Amino acid sequence: MPEPVIVALDGIAIARGGRVLLENVDLALRAGVVAVIGANGVGKTSLLRTIAGALAPAAGTVRVHGVDVRTLAARERARTIALVEGNEPAFAALTVEDAVAAARFPYHRWWEWEQTPADEAAVAEALARTALDAFRERELGTLSAGERQRVWIALALAQRAPVLLLDEPTAHLDLKASVQTLQLLRDVAAGGALVIAVLHQLEEAAAFADRVVVLAGSGVIADGAPAAALTTTTIAGAFGVDVAVERRPEGLAFHRRAAAKRS
Amino acid sequence: MRAARFAVLVALVPLAVLVGIGFGGAPLDPATLLHALAHPHDGGDAATIVWQLRIPRVAIAATVGAALALAGALLQALLRNPIVDPYLTGISSGAGASIAIAATVGAAPAVIPPLGFVSGLATAVLVAVLARRGSRLDPERLVLAGVSLSALLSAIVTLAIERLARGTASEAILAWLAGSLAGRGWPELAAAAPEALLGFVIAVAAIPALNVLRLGEVRAASLGVDVVRLQWALLVAATLLTAAAVALAGLVGFVGLVIPHLARRLVGPDLRALIPASLLAGAALVVLADALARTVAAPAEIPLGVLLAFVGVPTFLVLYLRGGARAYA
Repeated sequence: MPEPVIVALDGIAIARGGRVLLENVDLALRAGVVAVIGANGVGKTSLLRTIAGALAPAAGTVRVHGVDVRTLAARERARTIALVEGNEPAFAALTVEDAVAAARFPYHRWWEWEQTPADEAAVAEALARTALDAFRERELGTLSAGERQRVWIALALAQRAPVLLLDEPTAHLDLKASVQTLQLLRDVAAGGALVIAVLHQLEEAAAFADRVVVLAGSGVIADGAPAAALTTTTIAGAFGVDVAVERRPEGLAFHRRAAAKRS
Repeated sequence: MRAARFAVLVALVPLAVLVGIGFGGAPLDPATLLHALAHPHDGGDAATIVWQLRIPRVAIAATVGAALALAGALLQALLRNPIVDPYLTGISSGAGASIAIAATVGAAPAVIPPLGFVSGLATAVLVAVLARRGSRLDPERLVLAGVSLSALLSAIVTLAIERLARGTASEAILAWLAGSLAGRGWPELAAAAPEALLGFVIAVAAIPALNVLRLGEVRAASLGVDVVRLQWALLVAATLLTAAAVALAGLVGFVGLVIPHLARRLVGPDLRALIPASLLAGAALVVLADALARTVAAPAEIPLGVLLAFVGVPTFLVLYLRGGARAYA
């Protein structure tokens, strides 16, 4: 029996600043890791925000567990969908622990100011899974870009939402931290969550995603298992770059064929 | 550590109140003071001084200080900018301009507080409308609209002093600009207290969401904060608090900008601690400053705003520049 659909996009169109980015996007997404691939400006971030319910689509509906995401109350939506965008500035004097604890806001009524034992457990688990235990008392302003990126992932984990949306989760991360983060996302998905990540590294998408969605033009040009979705044709369609895709026992490898231009 | 510092602030307020009641233009010895405090309806000079002059003055000073500090803390959190002052929304300059015009045409002094309140509120509404983008409030536009409108309205005040007002009229304007509690009593407090209280209630209800807003607007929204509603609620709260303070005291600078900073130093950036700490510190500071303003040059009074600027600004600069500013990462 196939896994149930968690997020369904039905005829989604996204426009920003009067320009149509995406049209007629239909996707039925189940538990697992979904990588979204595409050129800069194609609408990946806008797609994530639309799925998160933060952005109203120009047409179509996003349903989470069958419910239109735009009709969910703000806190209910936050208990269902976590969105990680790394590049927004945050208050520098905030400690890592306080920042991650903010993830529990949607679980509180407005008069409930104190963290419950359940909140503390969720925060502690998120910090442990992102290897931030030693950083609890550190202020955000003193962290490296990679460490801060891990804080935002911890924040999303502590939110305990069944849908996790991540915009370039491996940006600013070194190779080891990238691998650890992607493995963590796989573990989260193995627990029954839907993880949708915008990734720029084709190798990362091939190695860690169950499913790859390639965006180009104004829609989805490929959608399927990594080996099916990431081909010379789809990569050329998305990026205009000629890449040979080699199937190796350990996974896919990508080689750019055109000689590098030298000035 | 944080709890100890908080306890100091809590203890500071009754101490400031004692100083505020104990000192003033007319010296009262402790025995007379205690007798007057214990017998409010004694009818003597001391009882009148204590109950009709000093206690309302202290209550007003505490309200003004708490309201300005709270408004400053709210706006700094809302605009995520540590150098924001509650007068940024144009309240003070709007009130100032209308009071300058009223004084020029010879309006009675009694109309100054309500006029200041209403025109300050009207200016804040205008600034908010200019700062609107769709349904949301654009922090950058709010700063720009507030600063530019304030400049225009301040020019009206200057013009009124320079050309139009003669004698007592320009004195009334200057007294207002300098910030003072002279001549204020229970009726003025009764008129301003409900607005300040409403602002306070809105502020307290918003504290958990404000804490989340420190992570950024996009993150706060994805964590379930209705950012648009929060922004408008905070602006309304800060406006009510500031307008109430301006109606009571005229232009008292420094408090709204600096007290939230000092409170942040003392108890940290968590708004569950920062908001009450700002409130207490603001109340204590203005009560003490007003006591000083009444005593130093008695029987004359030094304008409160001037005194706070003279004493407070150098202190703040030393503390702030030595400790270094922290912004956003």
